Amino acid sequence: MYLIKKSDVLNIAKALSAAYQVYGPVVEKVSGQTFFEKVDDISEITLAAPIPAAPPKSVVFPQAERIMSYRYAGGNTPVEIKPDYAETPKALFGLRSCDLTGIQCLDRFFLGQEFVDDVYRHHRKKMFIVTNTCVVPFKYCFCVCTDSGPCADEGYDLNLTDIGDNFFVEAGSAQGEALCKKLNLENASEQHRSEKNACVDKSITLFEEFSTESKAWISRVMNRVTTGFAKEDVWEYVGDQCFECGACSFVCPSCSCFNIADASGGNGSCNRLRTWDSCSYEGYSRMAGGHNPRKPVEDRRNKRFFCKLSYSQSKKYLRPGCVGCGRCNWVCPGDIGLPNVVKYIRRETTSR
Amino acid sequence: MNGIKIVTIPEVATIEEIRDEIRDVKTFYLSLDNKEIDKNFKIKSGQFIMCTVFGAGEFAVSLPPSPENDRFHLTVRKVGSVTNALHELKPGGKLGIRGPFGNGFPFEEIKGKNIIYVAGGIGLIPLRSSIVHVLQHKKEFGRVLMLHGARTPDDLMYKDNLKEWQSFDGFETYITVDVAAPGWTGEVGFVHTLFDKANLPIENTVAFVCGPPVMFNTVIGELMKRGLSDDCIISTLERHMKCGVGKCQHCAIGRTLVCTDGPVYTYRQIKTLGEQI
Ligand SMILES: Cc1cc2nc3c(=O)[nH]c(=O)nc-3n(C[C@H](O)[C@H](O)[C@H](O)COP(=O)(O)OP(=O)(O)OC[C@H]3O[C@@H](n4cnc5c(N)ncnc54)[C@H](O)[C@@H]3O)c2cc1C
Ligand code: SF4
Ligand code: SF4
Ligand code: FES
Repeated sequence: MYLIKKSDVLNIAKALSAAYQVYGPVVEKVSGQTFFEKVDDISEITLAAPIPAAPPKSVVFPQAERIMSYRYAGGNTPVEIKPDYAETPKALFGLRSCDLTGIQCLDRFFLGQEFVDDVYRHHRKKMFIVTNTCVVPFKYCFCVCTDSGPCADEGYDLNLTDIGDNFFVEAGSAQGEALCKKLNLENASEQHRSEKNACVDKSITLFEEFSTESKAWISRVMNRVTTGFAKEDVWEYVGDQCFECGACSFVCPSCSCFNIADASGGNGSCNRLRTWDSCSYEGYSRMAGGHNPRKPVEDRRNKRFFCKLSYSQSKKYLRPGCVGCGRCNWVCPGDIGLPNVVKYIRRETTSR
Repeated sequence: MNGIKIVTIPEVATIEEIRDEIRDVKTFYLSLDNKEIDKNFKIKSGQFIMCTVFGAGEFAVSLPPSPENDRFHLTVRKVGSVTNALHELKPGGKLGIRGPFGNGFPFEEIKGKNIIYVAGGIGLIPLRSSIVHVLQHKKEFGRVLMLHGARTPDDLMYKDNLKEWQSFDGFETYITVDVAAPGWTGEVGFVHTLFDKANLPIENTVAFVCGPPVMFNTVIGELMKRGLSDDCIISTLERHMKCGVGKCQHCAIGRTLVCTDGPVYTYRQIKTLGEQI
């Protein structure tokens, strides 16, 4: 455990930028919204900025990326295939605990099942993660309901907690420890650790007051969702409300469905692209010839909540799929973000 | 299975020969260009591969050859952009292959039993591998029957194989069409109408059923009425697939993924999926 003066905290990011491409929270001037972006000028980072509008999952799982290119001139000519893996070492600076948990879900899903996803593995291979404790929760947060915040307890290289004049710095790995040594950070005492713990406890008590938009008793509904005992009219209502816009999937730190398409570049050359997809789309499950086993919207919507809230899916993530970031509640034009749906299932009604 | 599995980057294969099967359906005989991989490319009946048509895209396709002593081939109906592009290719043309993927049909577990194959139309494609494999080991099985139904005589699949199979000693084959054509002297009617005539075994029996959803539901109903239990009825499911390795989630059905948990399911499992098939 170490300390770093508040005014010096970006020195950590500067040090990282020597060996890594740094990504961090940047407040966009016009909209005032936070985006988790590639940063070349470290001073652009606002560590205290609210949770980013889009999840940092795009660093390890980009919205669109080329995973391979090939060239084939037809007939009996050779085919040249080139895999295209992103190899740049990346540092995520100022990640929120919910978003780290999202990346852990993706890790377990992409790397921990029967097959390892090579594209994802390359993104994740050389990475340095600095998390930032939320000492004040934001409006849509409910990580306290999903056991994913407000403070990360594993999976980071360094964790920062704002304890007043200083940040309390915890190293979670050998490379984290090494960086603290290299930066000559001041050692912290047990007193400082108690201060940090008090900040986290305080933050938890602030949810009642600040996080007014989302609450979700997910443990109460997981059993019902898994066993199919959620009421049919709840799904029907959810289906009626859904615009099939896909926003919920795109802003969710643990959603990982993708599509693959080969885009021709002329002259027999072609790029294989992988792009985010959403189970809300009608074409998602439609098969060649037009047969669609999941035609009604509600069949596709209850799939999303099954993914986030069932025990079967939790086995893949080793935790519930929802990490309590609240983004789907924030963006959904149909007012059926996860916290609302949890409420409907729990109360067996569709009125709020 | 200790053969090779091509997971991410396709291996190139060359088309050696193309045969017309029925309208819009062709069989492509292939070999992998990398001979080392070709030799170690071991499949199980009921598995599938992801096939890249260079310039067009990738699609899921069953493996009709037997795992033993059979030519490597795919049989494909043209239904959309990628399969159309495949049908344009000529011998000598190149394809990309990933796989083999999926669980496959049980083989060891069904030894000693009577086997019934019921195939509607191109439902014979995914069953072919198992049929040939069982015939290669006929002595280790009880009665082996195949019932194949097609819309018209022109829609009967694998005509060369059918002839061969009909003369195979102890292989009971029944073929029927929905609508006869001039010169057709065989059976007319849906495939389940042959069940009485075939005197279907029920005890110690496993049925493999593949075909379009309507046919599937009727056939299953008839089999269960005759007393076949739902865990002795085996089928393969089809879903829109993008990756084949459990990542894109397009093939999700119930709590399972068709590409890694399937495509072979028992009817007992299918009933618990809680989704349309
Ligand atoms: C396990 C398995 C085994 C199979 N075995 C065989 C077999 O042995 N023989 C056989 O003939 N068929 C088989 N199929 C079916 C075969 O995979 C489909 O017929 C094939 O995918 C059709 O591809 P297409 O591109 O030609 O059709 P298309 O209709 O062009 O497209 C296929 C799918 O992609 C979607 N799609 C189309 N365009 C887009 C787009 N722009 N963006 C997003 N999605 C799009 C469609 O909705 C459709 O679901 C099998 C399928 C599975 C799952
Ligand atoms: S954000 Fe809301 S309306 Fe849009 S797809 Fe998701 S659930 Fe449907
Ligand atoms: S389901 Fe909604 S609240 Fe939960 S992690 Fe995804 S976007 Fe965040
Ligand atoms: S095809 Fe991608 S998950 Fe099954």
